[in-house]
Amino acid sequence: MSAKVIVLSGYGLNSEEELLHAFEQSGVEGDIVHINDLIEKPDTLSAYNILAIPGGFSYGDDTGSGNAFAQKMKLALWDALKAFVARDTLTIGICNGCQILVNLGLVPALNEYGERDVAVTYNASARYQCRWIDLAVESASPWLKDIDSLHIPVAHGEGRFMMEDDTLSALKENGQIAARFVTPDGTAAEGEFPHNPNGSVYDIAAMTDKTGRILAIMPHPERGMFTWQRDDYHEIKDAAQREGVNLSDESDGLQIFKNAAAYFSS
Amino acid sequence: MHTRIEILAHKDDGRAHQIEKTLDSMGIKACVRAVDVYSSASVDAQKDSFAQSLANPVTQKVNQTPTDFDWALEIGFLPGVTDNVGHTTSELLKLSAQNDNDDADQECFSSRLYLIKGEAQRDDIEKLSAIISNKLIQRISIKSNDEYARDGGMDVVIPKVVLEQNDVIADNVNLDIDDAALETLSKYGIPNADGSKRGPLGLPLVYLKAIQAYFKKEGREATDIELETLAQTWSEHCKHTIFASPIDDVAKGLYKHYIQRATKEIRAERGDQDICVSVFSDNAGGIIFDDNYLITDKVETHNSPSALDPFGGAITGIVGVNRDCMGFGQGAKPVVNRYGFCLADPRKTPNYFRDAKCTDALLPPSNIMNGVIAGVEAGGNCSGIPTPSGFVYFDDRFAGKPLVFVGTIGLMPREINGKPAHEKCAQPGDKIVVAGGRVGADGIHGATFSSVALDEGSPATAVQIGDPITQKKMSDAIIKEIRDFGWYSAITDNGAGGLSSSVGEMAEGSGGFHLELETVPLKYPGLSPWEIWISESQERMTFSVPPENTDKLIAFFAKRGVEATVIGTYTDSGRAKISWHDDVIMDLEMDFLHDGNPETPLTTTFTRGGEAEPDLAEPDNYEDAMLTMLGRLNICSKEFIATQYDHNVQGTAVLGPLQGKGRVYGDVSVTRPALDSPKAVVLSQGLFPRYSDIDTAAMAAAGMDMAVRNAVAAGVDFSRLALLDNFCWCSSDEPERLGQLKRAVETIYDIAVKYQTPFISGKDSMFNDFKGYDENGQAIKISAPPTLLVSSIGIMPHTKHSISLAPKAAGDSVYILGETKDELGASEYYDELGHLGSNVPETDAHQNLRLYKLYARASRDCLISSALAVGYGGLGVTLAKKTIAGQFGLDIDLSGFELRSDKMLFSESTGRIIVTVAPKNKKSFERNFKGFEHCHYIGSVSYSENLLIRDILTLDIKTLDEAYKAPLRDY
Repeated sequence: MSAKVIVLSGYGLNSEEELLHAFEQSGVEGDIVHINDLIEKPDTLSAYNILAIPGGFSYGDDTGSGNAFAQKMKLALWDALKAFVARDTLTIGICNGCQILVNLGLVPALNEYGERDVAVTYNASARYQCRWIDLAVESASPWLKDIDSLHIPVAHGEGRFMMEDDTLSALKENGQIAARFVTPDGTAAEGEFPHNPNGSVYDIAAMTDKTGRILAIMPHPERGMFTWQRDDYHEIKDAAQREGVNLSDESDGLQIFKNAAAYFSS
Repeated sequence: MHTRIEILAHKDDGRAHQIEKTLDSMGIKACVRAVDVYSSASVDAQKDSFAQSLANPVTQKVNQTPTDFDWALEIGFLPGVTDNVGHTTSELLKLSAQNDNDDADQECFSSRLYLIKGEAQRDDIEKLSAIISNKLIQRISIKSNDEYARDGGMDVVIPKVVLEQNDVIADNVNLDIDDAALETLSKYGIPNADGSKRGPLGLPLVYLKAIQAYFKKEGREATDIELETLAQTWSEHCKHTIFASPIDDVAKGLYKHYIQRATKEIRAERGDQDICVSVFSDNAGGIIFDDNYLITDKVETHNSPSALDPFGGAITGIVGVNRDCMGFGQGAKPVVNRYGFCLADPRKTPNYFRDAKCTDALLPPSNIMNGVIAGVEAGGNCSGIPTPSGFVYFDDRFAGKPLVFVGTIGLMPREINGKPAHEKCAQPGDKIVVAGGRVGADGIHGATFSSVALDEGSPATAVQIGDPITQKKMSDAIIKEIRDFGWYSAITDNGAGGLSSSVGEMAEGSGGFHLELETVPLKYPGLSPWEIWISESQERMTFSVPPENTDKLIAFFAKRGVEATVIGTYTDSGRAKISWHDDVIMDLEMDFLHDGNPETPLTTTFTRGGEAEPDLAEPDNYEDAMLTMLGRLNICSKEFIATQYDHNVQGTAVLGPLQGKGRVYGDVSVTRPALDSPKAVVLSQGLFPRYSDIDTAAMAAAGMDMAVRNAVAAGVDFSRLALLDNFCWCSSDEPERLGQLKRAVETIYDIAVKYQTPFISGKDSMFNDFKGYDENGQAIKISAPPTLLVSSIGIMPHTKHSISLAPKAAGDSVYILGETKDELGASEYYDELGHLGSNVPETDAHQNLRLYKLYARASRDCLISSALAVGYGGLGVTLAKKTIAGQFGLDIDLSGFELRSDKMLFSESTGRIIVTVAPKNKKSFERNFKGFEHCHYIGSVSYSENLLIRDILTLDIKTLDEAYKAPLRDY
């Protein structure tokens, strides 16, 4: 089966169009499907091998970001979701999608799918933060193959991973911590604002389930997939012009989606 | 039995820390825990599984609220106030209960409890609650630990709206009364049976007399709903009577004679190069984006509601202008939001009161600032619309009424189903369908209220709070799906005046309507017909739908979790008719409703303001002068706002709010709204309220030039640039204020025609005055300075032409384009020194036009490495901002200019841009401007860490950076 992605929409999710665009740029066909349509026909999932939950403000973040949408999915779709992740499929949740995966207990799922092991909660600043950050990536996840670092933006009010110490140790041991905030020169952020924009424990920005096939990531790769989207675009553009070289259209974030395409073509 | 669920947040909770910070600023060290509270009267809410579903077990605890605190402070909403968290919780309860029994009442309400441990008195907690809540919309409960223990916790409050059921009929109103009684009726509203009044109609006597005559002719009494409808439709807010009325010798009025005419003349002159598609006639203006798309723009003000409830006013404003975008043509997709706030200094605490006894204080400026910022944040971020640019302008005369500008840019295909997408028209026989939120008592009298000055009698029911998620569900269903099915003939939004405006306006297309008011879905029973008709409850769109399509439209909305209902029929009867069950309660001629308001000719006077030009000594120390200027509120960084607003959502941001490594708050944004096109939209704005103190013509010209020049500097295609006007005036019943207005409007006509930049949309707000009392009980009036905001929207053929303000490399040349004159009147510099002066900047549109055309050629040829239009604080501030943004030093020599150094640095002459140019482009750049006498080389980007202005000042980047960023950093 070649790669085919289902991108969810509805109830305040809002980044579905650019997320589908990211997959399409990487050679993956797909559809945007409203959550109510999926609930009406849960079997729809079987026609896809990538599930993508985009960013947004599902239910306005009320009762905790991602919680209400996750409760809705759990009540109406849980069996279909379990069957989907049991197959050789890929799942990604970005920002609000990440919060939803965590509240569904699909990530990190230390014992079994469905248990909530971590929380993604209010930024330490108690303020929404929209800014570009740097990530160090160290993961065996197929989503993150051949990626060492990412310069992409965050945009969230609740992006702070919190957990018990035991959980953190287990995640480290299992290699489930997929990306961590670092300073622009690549050294650990160590909780320091603004490099770690939300106060996340151990500078965690993304994590996977044990298989690595499910990725929950707070920053937005789909908003950092083209050079013209970058915060330093004008500097890069100007430098290229001075040197008389062509500027590549592609930026860091795109590789994540290309990896998904490659996973199903190999 | 009522259920109260308490979810205790983690002890390291950002929200609780914010409260600790606030207490700390009051001198109280405390430890605070935050508890989210949900209350419900539903039996389903009693289940433990429901409570557990509201919490994350890793960080939160359910119903295990600790008792080791000194004070408990709970903040919830008053009955009827939009409770978004409550709505979501109600939906969750419905979802979880579906598996079991089906309880009819599953409403939940939210509140937040703070547990405070620290040495505070009740007074302190009351003071805290005043800072973090608003008594107009919220309820406060404070308990000491003893009281908490005695009562067994906090009280369970179910803030349901309960209205008396006996009043739900339309009343007749006797208009056969004398003029004084008519005026009383207008000021206080229609009397209820118990003698209370329903709130202002805001109609001038001459209008009331026309209404009196109309009903005399009809041979019957008016009903309350008819009077309320006329008050809405004829309000200044909806009818823009001041811009429409004959004024002095201008018989057609200011709007038609100047603003509309400018656009007409430009379009005619442009011929097939005309960029306009839809101007002034719809909810927004529309211009051509490319062969496939249109781009729309609309900027609204929401000043009066924001003065009472800054958060609610601002969020309602932004989601309201989003609906203007959705209600343009067949419906445009919101792709960018913009904002602007005119505020008083947040560091000051003036004491102004609505009443002479000094009990009802105005909100302090910092509350207003934080509230309006948060409102636009919540509305924009939750709706998934990027907010890449905006502005904040400070002047203490905005203490009584802040100005809150909100704008939305939309994208739509030029054709949908083979028809022009910007056209729409309700057809006779079409059903009236309303979709979205339900109707409550919120926002009643919003339109009539914003047309009068704020005083003691301002109604609190005018306050609404937007619900962005309800709107987002509706917006997605319309813009992303239903629109392209072609199921409706017309669409418009419900804003000011609610159904009375939306249905009334849409019915102008068909020629009449018949509304069955009892079919309108309500939030709670008990509303009177007139209230349903004019309620400004948010998140509603009105459609005109051919009868064969109504069922499928309603069914599709239902699949998206959106309620839609048929509430009547569009007709060609020439009558505006409303029935309530079997009674006809309104039956007015459409012509009278829309055009029956008599002309009210206006006369004006004008006197130029200002003082003598001051004779000032040069500053002893230019370093100090520069740092002081950088720290001024109108100049310093507003980064704290920029980072709270999502500017990257939709993945379209090219040039955002913060530019360069040094993150300077820019005045212009560049966005690629269509992912499949490299074309970009350039947005900016300009305003100079203080210039009105000398001359409103200079004020208007400077704002207009700034809006254009910012966009030009960033690389817009100058022939694809359009403008929007927002006049926020004061005391517009005084001839002198009207004279200032007329002068400003004349000016923008002249400049628009010269620049060939058409106006495509506008909105005005004419009474930005506060009438109240100072701390001694003395009557005062605070009038906002007459302000014209000009917003610009233009197209850039490719993002590669986008130019940021930050210098890119040492060794580049620095040029000043445009002429610097001795023009410091009403400038930031004079204001800092306590002077107004006389030499306010005059705008030479002819010379500017030459420059902008030459510049557009240079930017198209990619000859410019960085550019910043000179604004507040003049050349000196512009050079400093460029130094900070690029984190490069500059080596500048101004000795070739004759002006004294302080005037050279801080004059605010318009029409100037500072650019840097790479060595390899230097020759071409200079050739490009050959023959233009105001292009001067003034130095270079240096390898040093200093801004050096030879013989004047030397300041290192770090010092500049600190002066620029420190003033508002902690907000």
